Amino acid sequence: MKHNQGKKKPHKFGMVIDLDKCTGCGSCMVACMSENNVSFRKDESDKQKSITWMKVFKLTNGKQFPDTEICYLPRPCMHCEGDHGHSPCVSVCPATATDYDHSTGIVSQIYTRCFGCRYCMAACPYHARYFNWWDPVWPEGMKESLNPNVSPRMRGVVEKCSFCFHRYQLAMEKLYLEGRDELREDEYQTACTQACPAGAITFGDLNNTKHAVYQLAQPDNKHGGKPKNPNAFRILERLGTNPKVYYFSSRKWVRNAADNDIKNTKDA
Amino acid sequence: MKIDRRSFLALVGGGAVGTALSPLSIKLMDDISIWSQTFRGLPIEVPVPPEGAASYHPSVCTLCPGGCGISVRKIDDRAVKIEGGADYPVNNGGICALGLSGLQLLYGPWRVEKPRKKENGAWKTISWDQALAEIAGKLETLRKNGKAHTIAGIARTDAGTVPALLKRFLTACGSQQFFTMPAIDASFQMAIEKMRGKAAAMGFDFENSSFVLSLSSGLLDGWGSPVRMIAAHSQWRNTGARLVQVEPRLSNTAAKADQWIAINPGTEATLALGLAHIIVRDGLYDRAVAQNSASFEDMQALLKSDYTPAKVAKATGIGEPAIEELAKNFAMAANPVAVCGRGSGREPAALNEVMAVLALNALVGSINRRGGLYTSSPLDYINWEEPVLDDIAARGLEKSAIGSLHTMVETVNKAADSPIQALFVAEANPAYTLHDEKTVKSAFDKIPLVVSLSSYQDETAALADYVLPLQNYLERYQDVPVTGGLKTPVVGLAQPVNNARKDSLHPGDVILQLAGKMEGTVAGAFKWRDYKDCLKATFGDDWRTISEKGYLRKSPFGASMDTERLSSRIDFGPLVNGRGKVPEIDGNKNNYPLTLVGYDSMRIAAEWIGTPPFSVKTVSDNVIKDSDVFVDINPATAGTYGFKAGQYAVLETPVGKARVRINLSDGIIPGIVAMPKGMGHTAYDGYIAKKGVNTNALIGPMEDAASGLDTAWGIGAQLKHV
Amino acid sequence: MDSALIPEGVKRCPLPVFILGVLVVGAVLLWGVYAMLLCWIKGLNQTNMNDYYGFALWIWADLAVIALGGGAFFTGFLKYIVGKDELKNIINFAVVIGFICYSSALLILAIDIGQPLRGWFIFWHANVHSMLTEVAFCLSCYFAVLTIEFIPLILENRQLDKFSFFHHLSHNMHEIMAVFAATGAFLSFFHQGSLGGVAGVLFGRPFGFRESILVWPSTFFLFTWSAAACGPCFTILVTKITEKITKKKLVGDAAINTLAKISGWMITTYIIAKIIDTIYWASVTAPAAGFTITDFYSNNGFYGFWILFAEIVIGGVIPGLILITQKGRSNKSLLITAAILACVGVSINRWVMVLQVMAVPVMPFDTWQLYFPSWQEIATTILPVAYGILLIALAHRYLPIFPQEKELNN
Ligand SMILES: Nc1nc2c(c(=O)[nH]1)N[C@H]1C(S)=C(S)[C@@H](COP(=O)(O)OP(=O)(O)OC[C@H]3O[C@@H](n4cnc5c(=O)[nH]c(N)nc54)[C@H](O)[C@@H]3O)O[C@H]1N2
Ligand SMILES: Nc1nc2c(c(=O)[nH]1)N[C@H]1C(S)=C(S)[C@@H](COP(=O)(O)OP(=O)(O)OC[C@H]3O[C@@H](n4cnc5c(=O)[nH]c(N)nc54)[C@H](O)[C@@H]3O)O[C@H]1N2
Ligand code: SF4
Ligand code: SF4
Ligand code: SF4
Ligand code: SF4
Ligand code: SF4
Ligand SMILES: [Mo]
Repeated sequence: MKHNQGKKKPHKFGMVIDLDKCTGCGSCMVACMSENNVSFRKDESDKQKSITWMKVFKLTNGKQFPDTEICYLPRPCMHCEGDHGHSPCVSVCPATATDYDHSTGIVSQIYTRCFGCRYCMAACPYHARYFNWWDPVWPEGMKESLNPNVSPRMRGVVEKCSFCFHRYQLAMEKLYLEGRDELREDEYQTACTQACPAGAITFGDLNNTKHAVYQLAQPDNKHGGKPKNPNAFRILERLGTNPKVYYFSSRKWVRNAADNDIKNTKDA
Repeated sequence: MKIDRRSFLALVGGGAVGTALSPLSIKLMDDISIWSQTFRGLPIEVPVPPEGAASYHPSVCTLCPGGCGISVRKIDDRAVKIEGGADYPVNNGGICALGLSGLQLLYGPWRVEKPRKKENGAWKTISWDQALAEIAGKLETLRKNGKAHTIAGIARTDAGTVPALLKRFLTACGSQQFFTMPAIDASFQMAIEKMRGKAAAMGFDFENSSFVLSLSSGLLDGWGSPVRMIAAHSQWRNTGARLVQVEPRLSNTAAKADQWIAINPGTEATLALGLAHIIVRDGLYDRAVAQNSASFEDMQALLKSDYTPAKVAKATGIGEPAIEELAKNFAMAANPVAVCGRGSGREPAALNEVMAVLALNALVGSINRRGGLYTSSPLDYINWEEPVLDDIAARGLEKSAIGSLHTMVETVNKAADSPIQALFVAEANPAYTLHDEKTVKSAFDKIPLVVSLSSYQDETAALADYVLPLQNYLERYQDVPVTGGLKTPVVGLAQPVNNARKDSLHPGDVILQLAGKMEGTVAGAFKWRDYKDCLKATFGDDWRTISEKGYLRKSPFGASMDTERLSSRIDFGPLVNGRGKVPEIDGNKNNYPLTLVGYDSMRIAAEWIGTPPFSVKTVSDNVIKDSDVFVDINPATAGTYGFKAGQYAVLETPVGKARVRINLSDGIIPGIVAMPKGMGHTAYDGYIAKKGVNTNALIGPMEDAASGLDTAWGIGAQLKHV
Repeated sequence: MDSALIPEGVKRCPLPVFILGVLVVGAVLLWGVYAMLLCWIKGLNQTNMNDYYGFALWIWADLAVIALGGGAFFTGFLKYIVGKDELKNIINFAVVIGFICYSSALLILAIDIGQPLRGWFIFWHANVHSMLTEVAFCLSCYFAVLTIEFIPLILENRQLDKFSFFHHLSHNMHEIMAVFAATGAFLSFFHQGSLGGVAGVLFGRPFGFRESILVWPSTFFLFTWSAAACGPCFTILVTKITEKITKKKLVGDAAINTLAKISGWMITTYIIAKIIDTIYWASVTAPAAGFTITDFYSNNGFYGFWILFAEIVIGGVIPGLILITQKGRSNKSLLITAAILACVGVSINRWVMVLQVMAVPVMPFDTWQLYFPSWQEIATTILPVAYGILLIALAHRYLPIFPQEKELNN
């Protein structure tokens, strides 16, 4: 049943998010919550305790009225590859409750193994990880809408975007059943990608030159995945986190807002 | 007993090995590890969603006028996810935050479970039979006492079979008092009727525009069919079309625009005419249009006298050079289009404002042209036979109707004896959505019988005498006509994807059953077995198509085949007569030096529905924090009044006051206070309610003399220190 | 009344006075226990920690307490391995303090984790790449060692010692204590170091990240060094406080002087290394990540360069210089001042390596995060202090912790 999985080049799933198109509508955030059984509370206004695997940041150019500009920046987990799979978070987890899967490039989170030390949260510069400060409680009747493909999390553990890993599993199951080898680009798409009204999110295999993500980001896989497209960039690329979420913007101030740049070495 | 080193080590070692090998600790650890995955049996037990067969069910979202196609994923009998309907003509797979949260409305604790009746101020659960019999009895009494014309109904819109059934019911009873919630569609229709002689819906071919001039329209903040607009924007990014956003506030639309021009609120019509001035002055207009249109010379004269760049600059706060440049860019673009309707564009706009925008489009030849503004008759598929009327009904119908909803509220509040004796509210929430909501409450108190037909325990249901639980939109069939600025109107078909709650009914069936409980012609006006039968009969031959495809769509030209409609020809007369004047907001400048405006956001449901918990999660803590709402003001305004970021303030208007917090924003013109619409629910429960303030508690109605519609978009305000 | 339990030939305060003291401290302890139970039963929502501030007050307390408890391993190392025999007069007390510090640290960790029932996963599913795994293993092993070192002290209680089994057990344990001390020292070098590595390996957090020497970030070595340097100061300080409270001299000057002198040299050399490390970090490591040192100490309401100055100069250079001079050491108030400053310095170091790491924004569009602990956090952090005082009081009253006490007070 293993087919020729071993011989094949591993996948490296990633995203390109077009910030020129993103309108900050929030669909990706809600699509993710609904798909992944994210819990919710009556008061979610403490944003530092509000679980949003996908979070849309609001960036401004810092200028005064009327020269102010705004850019929205959706942030899932970046599924950092670091150096050969040493993601900032994976390498620190003492219980191997989060792992880098070399066959997909996905950083997993095993809720039932996590014991809630939050070291991984300290390690993640993108604030992509969320702790369950409270017991998850669904109001009467609302448990009906829980997706059985994703386990609800208990209090005291960390959770984060999984690139909708269960969708990958479902797609792979179908693949095996049909006796095929190659996962089609449209067979595995994340919930946020699918929902985005702007079509701003593109998801696919960064190792597959035919996939749109590859063509948009043009990752230089020999040099830590640096994008060759001049308008494409990653957040905090300098830290060596080697994230698999690329952004695209035609605005220079937005590209510059992605990384700390004391030497102004970025495009002039 | 003496212990030597040997026995000591043996003791320590043996103890350690013994403990390690004992199955007890291993077993205990294993148990803990399994049990702590779900905490079975504790109050904190983590649910394990049951597995089952997955299936997808197509339907249509009715949570806003957008009319998107949806696909609901089910596991056995449970709906677990709403996704955008792929290949659906309106939204093509995309979906908004509210649409995605729909299951929370379906399954949430805010559903009305059973028919309820208010007795001496307390709610009592009753049977459907009793509820309908009692209501029918009261209506019969009114009819017998010559008060048939005091029976009224409010529906969200007048489109589709459900409102049509309510309207028919009122007619059969003998009343013309059918109200719809105020909507911009009425302003559009009226403007087209005035300037082109025949009422029609306004649609926009945005996908093919090359230059979009938006006059405070939140094209990406919920305007029109929201998902379609966001997709159109992405297309502009691909084609290089320009979006210029004229708006007092740096909304998301302004943020995404190629250019944001800050304008004094309420002066959009003035700007439109100022642009027209330049276009006419410089001869940049479409000659054919000018030749074929009526009153072009008068229009020219009006523009020349009242709308010079200098005057317009002064009124709008935009510099003359910027106005000149904008006019030229707009006129010279290949496929320009101008659009109006503030924010989400749901609330009516002043007639002269809409006419000004229509005129601006006409001048550049953008009416019924690729990328422009389209006029099209709504799909008219409801062709029922007129009901047979008895004498009571005939006499009742001779009495004139009150007109618009806000006038009704005013009239009821003023009258000693309410001119409305019975009121049906079908899936509308006027107690929350009408301006100056407290007047709605007092009016409802004066109406002896208020019946709310609702799926949710909302503000209006709280005021009613009877609440009749409706099936949620995911539990029922319904035709969903979409105009929402689409170039081509679409009628979608909502289909039940989930088993209905035990005691809920379809609103159509409520009306059919209520009519059944009444006598003679009222019952006789409804020959259908049930709502589904009615719906099938209404569509006739088209039923097959709509139930298979999920929607019906006519070509825009099919709906407007007369050649006159195909041109940009227009009558400038009505606009010239009104001299382009729009009503002024309430509140004198001395007491209320600031202007309060509500703003829309894709993350907050601003209309009848409460924002579900998932969407609430997406709302920033600069908008809602704890139970407080933030108002946006420019740092300069804050400086003038001595406010700091995050500080509490009392926001006072002629209509009311509220405690708010200050958010400093460089994205807003000084002198304006902007507040999110859709907060401050008092009904539902803590997941939805107790967050911020309802803008309608602070903004009063503002009647547009030209149309009779309430076109309030703001109000004079002041910020005081607490 | 309890005179039968009190070691022979020493004076203790009357029992009612002692009980009164115990009650006062016990009340504080109960308050801490209540807060601890709240955290366990209701969860960590009882704290003011959040997703930006996942490590907070008590993790600092944890690190600080381990650094200060470093006196135990280092004194043990000096006595048993290096052979500084005069330290036998303070080693018992150092062990007690170490035991308190390490048991507190473990307790804090058990409160800090979101799923305490799964705490053992850190051993069961150990990830060898994680500094925390290393910490957990070394910490628990060393705690076991401290327990073993502590047991004979308990058994030397006058009544227990009467049982021949206990007498021989304690005797045997004493005989092999050098082995445990060596093990303890070895483990301590690692867990002190790996605690330093906790922040040092965070390459996503440029404020904490340090480049590696061998397989460990520089903070690994700095933490071990600073614990060895400042831990003895804490032992001295607690000894002096105990002497003050009991109004007795408990440890002879020779032991204190030796410890202070070694500590002084350790602090001085440590602080030189720390300064070099800071300069390298500020001029090479941080800029490579896109940060200037000013970014870490500006634009916020709390963290300024003052904290760097306080840590390095006030809490490092000054006590170091005091303690390496004979004059400084022999002047009682200077000695105490230096010991306090050293403890403050190392505590500030642990503070910045936990709390400031969380506070500094990393993404350019992020903002500084400042946090203030909830009362539950404060209470659970004070809990170990109360527990420590209680244990010292009991140990001092009933166990022959200070071998010189009799001779010094006659
Ligand atoms: N010896 C033995 N071998 C077996 C079987 C057996 O019974 N015995 N059973 C066989 C069968 S039936 C199966 S299905 C396979 C299962 O084999 P695998 O598919 O390998 O199953 P797992 O090891 O459970 O999980 C796979 C990966 O998913 C990650 N993961 C878990 N949850 C998440 C998440 O939410 N997000 C992300 N991104 N990752 C996650 C885990 O870390 C792990 O790396 O094993 C087969 N092999
Ligand atoms: N806790 C936990 N639960 C899981 C999983 C997990 O990882 N952890 N994994 C899930 C997954 S991916 C899967 S596929 C399922 C597997 O779940 P099951 O399908 O229950 O698989 P097994 O546990 O392997 O049990 C199969 C049974 O078939 C019997 N059997 C073996 N050979 C034959 C044969 O030739 N004929 C017959 N008649 N019987 C035979 C075996 O003795 C055994 O009793 O479990 C799921 N449940
Ligand atoms: S759904 Fe798309 S457009 Fe909306 S916020 Fe997310 S990425 Fe942006
Ligand atoms: S974004 Fe954060 S959580 Fe995700 S892989 Fe990177 S470091 Fe880990
Ligand atoms: S919180 Fe969970 S996933 Fe994160 S490091 Fe700790 S055990 Fe690992
Ligand atoms: S990829 Fe899936 S899990 Fe990640 S943000 Fe998108 S929807 Fe959420
Ligand atoms: S835009 Fe309107 S119709 Fe479409 S999904 Fe959202 S709420 Fe529903
Ligand atoms: Mo399986």
